[in-house]
Amino acid sequence: MIHHQSRREFLANNAMGVGGVALAWLLQQDQLPARPASVSDGPRVFDMKPKSTHFAPRANAMISMFMHGGPSHMDLMDPKPELTKYDGTEYSGDVQFSFVNRASKTLMGSPWKFGPRGQCGTEISELLPHLAEIVDDVCVVRSMHTGFNGHEVSIRFWHGGIPATLGRPTLGSWITYALGSESQDLPAYMVLTDPGGHPVDGVNNWTNGWMPPLYQGTVLRPTEPRILNLQPPAHLKGKLQQQNLALLDQLNRQHLQRHPGESDLEARIASYELAARMQVAAAEALDISDETESTLKMYGIDRPETKEYGTRCLLARRLVERGVRFVQLFMGGQPWDHHNSIKTNLPAVCLRTDQPAAALVLDLKQRGLLDSTIVHWGGEIGRLHVTENQGDPSKAGRDHNGQGFSAWFAGGGIRGGMTFGETDEFGHRAVVDRITPNDIQATVLHQFGLDHTELSFHYNSREQHLTDGRECRVVSEILNNPTKSLAPAV
Amino acid sequence: MRICLSFIVTIWLSMASLGLADEALTFERDIRPLLKVHCLDCHGATAEVKGQLDLRLRRFMIAGGDSGPAVEPGNPEGSLLLQRLRDGEMPPGDKKMSLEEIQTIEQWILAGAATARDEPERLDPGLSITPEEREFWSFQPLVRPSTPALDQADRLRTPIDAFILAKLRENGLDFSADADDLTLLMRAHFDLLGLPPSPGEVDAYLSDQSADKYEKLIETLLASPRYGERWARHWLDVAGYADTEGAAPADADRPWAYKYRDYVIKSLNEDKPFNVFLEEQLAGDELVPQPHKNLSEEQIEKLVATGYLRMAGDGTGSGANTQEGQNQTISDTLKIVSTSLLGLSVGCAQCHDHRYDPISQADYYQLRAIFEPAFNPSQWRTPPERLLSLYTDQEHAAAAEIEAEAQVIAAERGELQAKFIEEELEKELTKYAAGLRDQLRDAYHTADDKRTDQQKQLLMENPAVNISGGTLYQYNQASADKLKEYDARIAEVRAKKPVHEYIRTLAEIPGQAPATHLFYRGDFKQPQQEVAPADLTIASKPGERMEIAANSEEMPTTGRRLAYARWLFNGSHPLVGRVLVNRIWMHHMGRGIVGTPADFGSLGLRPSHPELLDWLAVEFAESGWSLKHLHRQIMLSTVYRQSSQSDPAKVVLDASNQWYWRKPVLRLDAEAIYDRLLAVSGALEHKLYGPPTPIEADDTGQTVVAGDSKRRGVYVKVKRTQPVALLKSFDAPVMEVNCDCRPSSTVATQSLMLMNSGFILNQARAFAERLRREAGAAPTPEVAFDSSQLTDPKVAWQFGYGHYDAEQQKLAGFTPLPYWTGSAWQGGEELPSPDLGWVTLYADGGHPGDAQHSPIRRWVAPAAGTVRLTGKLSHGSDNGDGVCAHIVSDRLGLIAEWVAFNNQLDTAVEGIEVQAGDSLDLVVDCRNSVTSDSFAWEVALTLTSAEGQQQNWSSRTDFHGPRTALPPLPQQIVYAWQLAYGRPPTEAELSTALSFVVEQFRALIAGSSASSDVDPSLQVMENLCQVLMSSNEFLYVD
Repeated sequence: MIHHQSRREFLANNAMGVGGVALAWLLQQDQLPARPASVSDGPRVFDMKPKSTHFAPRANAMISMFMHGGPSHMDLMDPKPELTKYDGTEYSGDVQFSFVNRASKTLMGSPWKFGPRGQCGTEISELLPHLAEIVDDVCVVRSMHTGFNGHEVSIRFWHGGIPATLGRPTLGSWITYALGSESQDLPAYMVLTDPGGHPVDGVNNWTNGWMPPLYQGTVLRPTEPRILNLQPPAHLKGKLQQQNLALLDQLNRQHLQRHPGESDLEARIASYELAARMQVAAAEALDISDETESTLKMYGIDRPETKEYGTRCLLARRLVERGVRFVQLFMGGQPWDHHNSIKTNLPAVCLRTDQPAAALVLDLKQRGLLDSTIVHWGGEIGRLHVTENQGDPSKAGRDHNGQGFSAWFAGGGIRGGMTFGETDEFGHRAVVDRITPNDIQATVLHQFGLDHTELSFHYNSREQHLTDGRECRVVSEILNNPTKSLAPAV
Repeated sequence: MRICLSFIVTIWLSMASLGLADEALTFERDIRPLLKVHCLDCHGATAEVKGQLDLRLRRFMIAGGDSGPAVEPGNPEGSLLLQRLRDGEMPPGDKKMSLEEIQTIEQWILAGAATARDEPERLDPGLSITPEEREFWSFQPLVRPSTPALDQADRLRTPIDAFILAKLRENGLDFSADADDLTLLMRAHFDLLGLPPSPGEVDAYLSDQSADKYEKLIETLLASPRYGERWARHWLDVAGYADTEGAAPADADRPWAYKYRDYVIKSLNEDKPFNVFLEEQLAGDELVPQPHKNLSEEQIEKLVATGYLRMAGDGTGSGANTQEGQNQTISDTLKIVSTSLLGLSVGCAQCHDHRYDPISQADYYQLRAIFEPAFNPSQWRTPPERLLSLYTDQEHAAAAEIEAEAQVIAAERGELQAKFIEEELEKELTKYAAGLRDQLRDAYHTADDKRTDQQKQLLMENPAVNISGGTLYQYNQASADKLKEYDARIAEVRAKKPVHEYIRTLAEIPGQAPATHLFYRGDFKQPQQEVAPADLTIASKPGERMEIAANSEEMPTTGRRLAYARWLFNGSHPLVGRVLVNRIWMHHMGRGIVGTPADFGSLGLRPSHPELLDWLAVEFAESGWSLKHLHRQIMLSTVYRQSSQSDPAKVVLDASNQWYWRKPVLRLDAEAIYDRLLAVSGALEHKLYGPPTPIEADDTGQTVVAGDSKRRGVYVKVKRTQPVALLKSFDAPVMEVNCDCRPSSTVATQSLMLMNSGFILNQARAFAERLRREAGAAPTPEVAFDSSQLTDPKVAWQFGYGHYDAEQQKLAGFTPLPYWTGSAWQGGEELPSPDLGWVTLYADGGHPGDAQHSPIRRWVAPAAGTVRLTGKLSHGSDNGDGVCAHIVSDRLGLIAEWVAFNNQLDTAVEGIEVQAGDSLDLVVDCRNSVTSDSFAWEVALTLTSAEGQQQNWSSRTDFHGPRTALPPLPQQIVYAWQLAYGRPPTEAELSTALSFVVEQFRALIAGSSASSDVDPSLQVMENLCQVLMSSNEFLYVD
C-alpha cells in the first residue's frame, strides 16, 4: 500500500478547495492520538492527487506499444543462425500447436537478414531499420515467456498479472492508483486505440477490474469523438453547455450551503470543473498543428503507410509531456498474428510501425523525457520456429508461441544497448534468464519507485497485488544503477 | 457515500502491542501472533517442523532445534531466534518481520520471555486455537444484551436508539433533530425502493395529518413489489450475480441465471424468513424429492434458489474445462459463501493456516467437503450439463417425437460429413509418399482405442491428417457450408418442440460422495489427507465442533448442505446473524457497525456498537428471521430519522460520524441513479422478472442498454467482460467473484457522462417532453413572467395549402398542411397523398399539388410596419410548364407574382404596409400541369416599425415542425422541480431558472442554425432538465 501524503500536504496541494469545516476536520484528525499510519479509520478515499513512492523513482511515465497477435521474434530481434541452417528439416522436439490442421514440424529459418547495429552491436533484422537506429538506447529482452500460446490468456497475464484471469486491474490501473496524476486536467491513464477497431479481448485490455473506475484507462479513439462523452453534442456546443454548467454549479453550491462541510458534495462540484478543464486540455493535447515539419517527418506522418501509427506515437509523447502517467497504444485485431503469408504480411506491419516507434524514442530523448519515461514495445506472445502450412509454400506462416519471444524496452532507467536472456538455438523456448510478464511488472513498478510486494489494494477481504504473490523478480540486470534506485526516498 | 473501511496489515499487530507497552509482554498475546504470521508455517503448523525447531510454545523455543536453543530468556543477544530475525536470514523470502516486530520480540525476551499462564503439558500437532484467539469479539456466543436504561424517552423510539444514544452521550454528543417530512419521505423511498416518490405521493404524504403517517409510509413501501427489486440488488452483489460465466475468454452467456435473480426478488417481497431463504439457496435440491422431475412451482423455486451456489465464474463449459478451472469454481463458490455469510476471509486458509484468524487449512477443506459432493470434481459437470430441464414427462414425449424427425436429417448429415471427410483425407494423403499414405489411411480409419502405438505416433507426427467434423472447414469451406444447411434444417425441426425452460441449479446426484482432501499449499495436484465435512472450528465452543454426518440416512443425497444450512441458522451461530444484520444496517446507514462487512476477523475493523450488533442479530433470529421486521426496527428508530445536517460543534467531537449523531448524506448507487433518471423522465417501465435487458455497444463502442427497454437497472444484463458504462462508472461491481461492499467514487468521467452521453440527453429530452404533457396540472406559481420573451420568431410562419384565385387576385382559403415528416410538411405519410397530391413544403422550397392544392408559406405580422421581401425563385426542369409564385396580402390582395420555368429569378418587393395580425402568403401554383414542378424559393423578410426598428425572418432557417400549445413556463419549471427533487423550487430557484431559460432561449435564437426541427423552447427546457438530473440534489439523498 502506498503511503499517502500527510494530511497537511494533502491540504496544501489540494486543488479542490475543501470548505472550512472539512478543513477543520482534517486538521483535527491530525491531532488524534498516534495510530498506525497505515490503518485507516475513515472512508476509503480514492483520488488522483500525486502520491509518494516507496523509494526514489527512476521513471514517472510509461508508454507501451502493445503489439497484438505475437510478433515473430526470430524474424525481428532474435537471430537464430541454427534455425536458418536447418531450414526445411524436421524438428525433433515437442511442439504445442494451436492450429493442428496446418501444423508441421518443418523448421523455418528467417527469410530476413540480421546484422549488428549501433555502437552496441545488438543484432536486429533488416525488417526494422529504424529500431536499428535507436538500438543503443534499447534493451531487447529475448527470453520472454508466458507459458501459454493463447492470445487472451497471455494478454491478461501481461495486463492483469495472472494468466487467463479476467476482471483484474491492469498495469496502468495499478500505476495510477499508486501514484495519482501529475496532470490536473487530463486522465492519468490513456489508451490509444487503432482505427481498425479494438484489440482482441476488447476493453479488458484497459479495465480497472475491481478497483474504482477512477483507475480505468481512458480511451483516446482514432476518430471523433476522440474521448467518449468528452465533447458536447452539436446542439450543446459552445455557450449552451457553459450556461448549463453555470446553472448546475449554482444549484450545486446552493445545495452545498444547505449541507455545509459535506466534502463528497464539494468533490463532485470539483469534478464538473475538472471535466470542463479536460475538454480544453484534451483538445489542446490532440492538436498537433504546432509540431514542426521535421517532427512530423520523423514520425512518418508525411507518408501514408506510417501516418496513422506515427500520429498516435506523437500523441503519446504529447500526452506524457502534459503529465499523463501511463499511455498504451493498441493495434486493432491482431496484425502480428502471422499464421499465413508471413513473408509479405510481416514486412507490411513492420513498415507501419517501425519508424513511428523508433521516432518516439528519439523524440523523447531529444526532449529530455526519455530518462523518466519507460518505453515498451512487444506482443503478448511470439511465434513458432516451425512452418504453419498453408498449402502454397509462399503462404507459409508461423503458429503461436508463448514459450519464448522478445520485447524491447527503453528509457526510464532501463539500460540501453543491451540484450537480455536467450531462447534455445531455434528460438522455441526461453532457456536463459527466462522472464515472465510478472517480472516485467515488478521491474516497471520498481522503476516507478514501487515495490510490487508492497503495493496492494484491499479487495475481497485481502490485500491484492498486481503480481499476486507469484514467483517473480525485479530484473535488475536490465537497469541502470539498480542499487542506487533502491535507496529509500528522502 | 457508502463507506467501506479497509486497512493495512503490515504493522498493526506490533503497533497494537507497543500501545500496551506498560503491560508486560506475554507470549500468547504479543508474540505468538507475530510468529504465526511469519514463522509457524514451517515451525509448528505441521507435524514435521523445519530444523526440528517448534515455535508454538515458549518451552519449545527454549529447547530449540538443530541449531540449539532459539530463545534464552532475559538475554536477547544470546537468543538465536532474534539473531536470525535481525540478520534477515529468517523468515526466508521477501516478507521480513518489521523492525517494530523484532523489537517487540527483543523486549519480550529481555523481560524474561513471560507467558500468560502455564503452558499445556502436551500439544496436538498443528496450530490449535489459543484462548487469546477464542476471546476475539466476533467468536463470542450471541446473547441479547440488555438495552441501556436512559431518560429522554421521547427520542427512544426503538431499542436501537438506546444503544446509539448511550454511545453518543459517552462521547458528549446527542441525537440531531428529526428530519423534515419531505426528507424522510425521499429517504425512505430511495432506501426501500431505490426510486423517488411521485409528486402525487409527495402531496399525499405532506398533507397527511395523522400521527402515524411515517409508520404507514414504511408499511406501504415494504409492501411494494419495487422493494424486492431494490433489496435483491444488495444480495445479488454478495452472491456475485452475473448473466455470463466469465472465467474463460468466451465469457459465455448464462441464459437461465435470471431465474435466480427473480427468485431473490420474489423471496424478499414475500419476506421469506431469511433462514428459509438461505436454506433453499444452500440446499434447495435436498428439499425436493428425487428424482427432480415433473416439478411443482414450489419445488422449482427451491431448485432455482441453489443458483446462489452457481454464481461463481465457471468457464468449464466455455473452453476452460480443466481441473484448475473446476477447482477455481469451487473455491470461488466458497469465497462467496464465506464472505456473504461468515464474514471471514476463509479463502486465506486455502494454502496454509490463516495467518491472522484461527482458521486452519483443515477447516477450509472441511468446509469445502460440505459442498464437494454437489460439485464433484471427479465427475465434473459443465454449466450446460448442470442445467435442469423443466420438461414434464409429457413434454418430453412430444419433444422426443420431433427429435426423431430431426434425427433422420441428422443421420443424412452424418453420412455426408463422413463422405466429405473421406474426400479431404484422400486429397491430403496425396501429399505423402505412397507407402506412408496407406499407413496413414489405415491409422486414421482405425478406431482410437484400437490404434497401435506406431499408428498413434504416425498420426501425431502428421497432424494435418486428423481431419474431423470440427476442422473440416479448414480444409473445405464449401463442404462445411453444405453441412451447415443440414444444421439449419435440423434446427428448424427442433424449433417445433415445446418451449424448453431450464434452471441453473446446483444439485447433488444421489450416491455421489467423493472424498475431500486437503491440498498441499492449495495445489489440487497435491492432495493429502482426507477430511470430513464440518463448520469452522472457531464457530463452536471448545470441544463442541459442529461436524456434519458424511452421509444422511434420511435422504438419498449426503444431506451435508442441508445440515449446514440448518446449523448456520439455529440462532446461536456467532457469525451468520451478526454478518447479515451488519450488512442490512450498512445499506440503511451507509456504513456497517463493523466497517469491513466481509471481514469480521482480526484484520477487519471492530464494531463501533458491539451491543447493538448483537441485539440486532438476536432480534433478527427471534423475529423468525424477518428482514422486513429488521427494516422496521431500523427505519422507525430516531437514529435513522435524524436530520443529515452537519453541526460544527459535533464535528469537532466526531468528524466521521462514527457515533451516528446525524444521518449521513449518501450518494445513490449506480442502479438507483439509472432508475431515478428513467423514473423522472417518465420512461420507466415496471415489469417484474424475466430475461435480462440486453446490452450492446453503441456507435462509439461504449456498452449501453440496447434498444428502448426502460426496465429497472436490476434487470440489465450483467456481462462480466462488458459492463454497462454508466452503471460501472457509478461503481456497479465488475463481478470477478462477488462484491461485499461498493465504493463510492467521484470522478470526472461520471461528470462527462452526465454532461454529454446519449443516455442522459435522451432522458433529459423525455423529461422536457413530459413537462409539456403533464405540467398543466402543476400549481401555477405567483411569479411575474412575460412569456413573450420566449416568442419564437419562427412561429410567425405557418405552412398550409389552398387555391389562388387569379380573378379575384386573392387567396381562396388556407388550410394547414396535416403531416410533418421531420423535415417537410405534406399531405400525408405518403407522397403523393391520396387526398392532397404532391403538395409539399420544405425549408428551401417545395412542390405544388393541383390548382386547389398550392403550397402556401404564410407569415403573420407580429406588429405593424413596412415589409421588405427579397429572395430567389428557381425551377430546374424543362419538362412541364414551370410554376407561378405569388405574394398575397390578406388586406391588399396580390402584391407581386413571377413565373419560373427552368430558370432562376429574383423576387424582391418593398414597401408593403402591414398591421399586427396581417398575413402575407407566399403561394406557388402549378400553372397548367403538375409535372416536374419542384421549386426552390428562399425569402428574407424584414419588418421595419414606424420607429425604425428592424426584425428579420428567413423562410429557410425559420422553417419548423408543429408547435403545440404549452403549459406556461413557470408551471413547467415548478413541475420539473417536483419530479426531480420532490419539491417545488424556492422563489430564488424559480427566478434563477426563469432567467436561465430566457437567456438560453436568446442564445439559441441568436445562434439559430440550420436545425429546423429543434424547437428552442423545448431545447432550453431539455437543458434545464439535464442540469437538474446531473445535480447533487439528484445524485445524493439526505
